[in-house]
Amino acid sequence: MPAYKLTYFNVRGRGELIRLLFAAGEIPYEDVRIESDNWPELKPKTPMGQVPILEVDGEVICQSMAIARFVAREAGLLGKTHLDQARADMLLDGGIDVGKLFEEMVMEKDASKKAEKKKEFGEKTLPPFLALYEGFAGDNGYFVGYSLTWSDIAFFNMMDFITAEFPSALDGYCNLTKVIKIVKRVPGIAKWLKERPITDN
Amino acid sequence: MPSYKLTYFKHWGRAGVLRLLFAAGGIEFEDVRIEREQWPELKPKTPMGQIPILEVDGTIICQTKAIGRLIAKEAGLAGKTPLEAAQVDMIVDGLSDLQVKIVDFFIEKDEKKKQEKIKEFAEKTLPMFLDTYEKLANSSGHFVGDALTWADVDFFSLMFFLKDHLPNDPLKGHVNLTKVRDNVTSNPGIAAWMEKETSH
Repeated sequence: MPAYKLTYFNVRGRGELIRLLFAAGEIPYEDVRIESDNWPELKPKTPMGQVPILEVDGEVICQSMAIARFVAREAGLLGKTHLDQARADMLLDGGIDVGKLFEEMVMEKDASKKAEKKKEFGEKTLPPFLALYEGFAGDNGYFVGYSLTWSDIAFFNMMDFITAEFPSALDGYCNLTKVIKIVKRVPGIAKWLKERPITDN
Repeated sequence: MPSYKLTYFKHWGRAGVLRLLFAAGGIEFEDVRIEREQWPELKPKTPMGQIPILEVDGTIICQTKAIGRLIAKEAGLAGKTPLEAAQVDMIVDGLSDLQVKIVDFFIEKDEKKKQEKIKEFAEKTLPMFLDTYEKLANSSGHFVGDALTWADVDFFSLMFFLKDHLPNDPLKGHVNLTKVRDNVTSNPGIAAWMEKETSH
């Protein structure tokens, strides 16, 4: 079993999907969380000047989705066929723009601009996205085929952030609600959700 | 062998790399190129209201990188091990980050702002990116291992797209990256494809 070392800040942010996937696969790893003060020293040692990075037997991988996909494969959660895997990839990539707008809203420091962005997000951005994804999710609660894949877990992670600001976002979405339920009950994930450090974002 | 039908506009844009991947892998595909006027009718029939889309035996996949990864896997260009696959993905994701910056100046409607953005891109953003990528490519002209992968093809594709928008060859002085470009253009499938693409 290779040694896995994840390095990121002490936040969920772009690292949490990776941590959730390690948890789902019950794969041991070192979960290194650095302080902002330590970042300038580490930065030039990373492939692209960014974290998260994953060290696997001495090799360093960066880019959170590349790392997440690698861990998903190790956890057996990539999708059974190339086509299933492509579907999972497409559903993940489809959430990125919405994720970016949510992030912009959360990071907005000006209170009145933030309120505007929150209104826009909650009324214009989120509803069509969820309606679209309700259609993508099967009524069995899986986005791809008939079993759990990393796209279910990625959706859970995204909604974990979004429902902190919009608690009733998933009301009325039966399939999406099922996806969330199933992910939360994955033993490794249930355990991680209980034990993980509490961070603002 | 499944049947592949790729749909996009005529230009290089986001599908250029996908067509190159089919060419590199020697994989037959239907290369559908639509006019702008046809797009409103097609749009609601796509999974997310965007193209490119790839139809594989009736299933439709959207999102450029999802499609790229699928074709790369079929063409044997997605890395030989899980670790190599992650390395390919990481290079492609970094190129995607650069592409976001390119789209930003590309769609800028104010001509003065656009020229300012292009200047910033050409003088700061791109050189910094290429310095990083020169170190990520190896001396045999590959980003991952010692054979052509989607990472190399994607890099070439983006540089090819950029060359009409920049005054000089941005790869000048970058030995490894120049070799990557040479490796891609000398791949027989890609060479034949580029000959056809650029001859009209």
